[in-house]
Amino acid sequence: MTSPLSGRRVLVVEDETMVAWLLKDMLADLGCAVVGPATHVNQALAMLDAETIDAAVLDINLNGQKSYPVADALAARGVPFVFSTGYNKDSLPNSYQSFPVLQKPFDRLKLGDTLAKLLTPKEPGV
Amino acid sequence: MPNEEDKSGEQKAAEAEIESFRKDLGPFVVATETTRMAMVFTDAKEPGNPIIFANDSFLSLTGHDREEVLGQSFNFLMARGADPEAFAEIEAAFEGSSDRDPEICYRRKDGSVFWVSIYVNPVRDEGGDVVQHFASFVDLTKHKQEKDRLRFLLDELNHRTQNTLATVQAIAVQTLHGVADKEVVDAFEGRILALSKAHGLLGRENWEGVSLRDVIEQILEPFGLQDRRVARFAVDGDDVCLPPKAALTFAMVFHELATNAAKHGALSNDAAGQIDIAWKVEPTPQGERMRLRWQESGGPPVTQPGRKGFGSRLIDSGLAQELDGIVSLDYEPAGVVCQIVMPVPQRGGWMEP
Repeated sequence: MTSPLSGRRVLVVEDETMVAWLLKDMLADLGCAVVGPATHVNQALAMLDAETIDAAVLDINLNGQKSYPVADALAARGVPFVFSTGYNKDSLPNSYQSFPVLQKPFDRLKLGDTLAKLLTPKEPGV
Repeated sequence: MPNEEDKSGEQKAAEAEIESFRKDLGPFVVATETTRMAMVFTDAKEPGNPIIFANDSFLSLTGHDREEVLGQSFNFLMARGADPEAFAEIEAAFEGSSDRDPEICYRRKDGSVFWVSIYVNPVRDEGGDVVQHFASFVDLTKHKQEKDRLRFLLDELNHRTQNTLATVQAIAVQTLHGVADKEVVDAFEGRILALSKAHGLLGRENWEGVSLRDVIEQILEPFGLQDRRVARFAVDGDDVCLPPKAALTFAMVFHELATNAAKHGALSNDAAGQIDIAWKVEPTPQGERMRLRWQESGGPPVTQPGRKGFGSRLIDSGLAQELDGIVSLDYEPAGVVCQIVMPVPQRGGWMEP
């Protein structure tokens, strides 16, 4: 059985260089093809327009700017994504509470599980 | 001040009443009029508790003129902009059926917001009937703003701590890449994650203390604590509130014990192994002490490790020092046993179950 992650194109939106490297390496270890990193909102939106993207890992705070416009654009396109943050999940506004959140620092197993869930097609009627 | 002819009969009566107060209680009435604490009297005999007296501080607090306030229903005036829950609290305070003083967010006449705590007291006549209510207000706006700011700073601090830990994780993984075995990287990441989870719990509780059960649940969750298919953990004990330092230490120690169990101990075989974590608090002449026991069973036969690793060093020497307690770690053939005896922190002590 092939992993639901192999060859999938995952957009990384993360403003801290070293953390972005870490995410890229972790995603590559999981078999994903990494797009980005985008370090600010407009760059992420441009990548969304220009590239084929299957899923995204989205840092909430990009140099003091919230990444919610990127979340909205991803949701509008039906691209699944997971937020990444050092804040508590409670600090997300209500309208984004239903999206999955990965806490920083990253747990590789959780990153893999979360993306696998996002990228596994839902069975009809489930 | 309004003209005499503009005044309602009610207001005139109220002023006459105040005047009679002034005669009897001169300095007290002057004090009420000039104190920095906002105060009003309301008429308990009329519906809606009309205001019959308001001091200058009340007027500057609410931004109203005196003529806009006198004769006006207290509930109506103060409920403006307040939510239904707050309104119910005020009503209860007037009826004397409330056991706490309402803390309420109001709007001034100009729309700006202020927070007050309201104290409502009945004023009775000679027959004991409530004829008036006396309400005083403590302005909590500054206090609330400071509290919000503190919350904001604490959130920022927690956020930065977790981001810094993520950066440390990134540096370590980059540095070790291709140089160290995967096992070393995994061990390092596991420890950083355990530390981060403890910080997360502490941040959630404003660094005031963390429940021992929460620490156990967070740290052992990746080892299958919540796994309902195979019950490999039994956790037993009344919850204890750990101070920050103890919470961090326990998080690291449980992480090391569980990692070791997953590699060599009770979590390393298919399903037979089990870990019992039990603790009790006992009174002693030196105060209360907690006795906690981690006991593994059903794993492969245990042998004493040749070299002292990070985990056993942390438990053997670090733990005793950090917790001011006595620690023993025994590699018994039937399973690892770790026992910790430590004083129970005084402040906070017990948490609600």
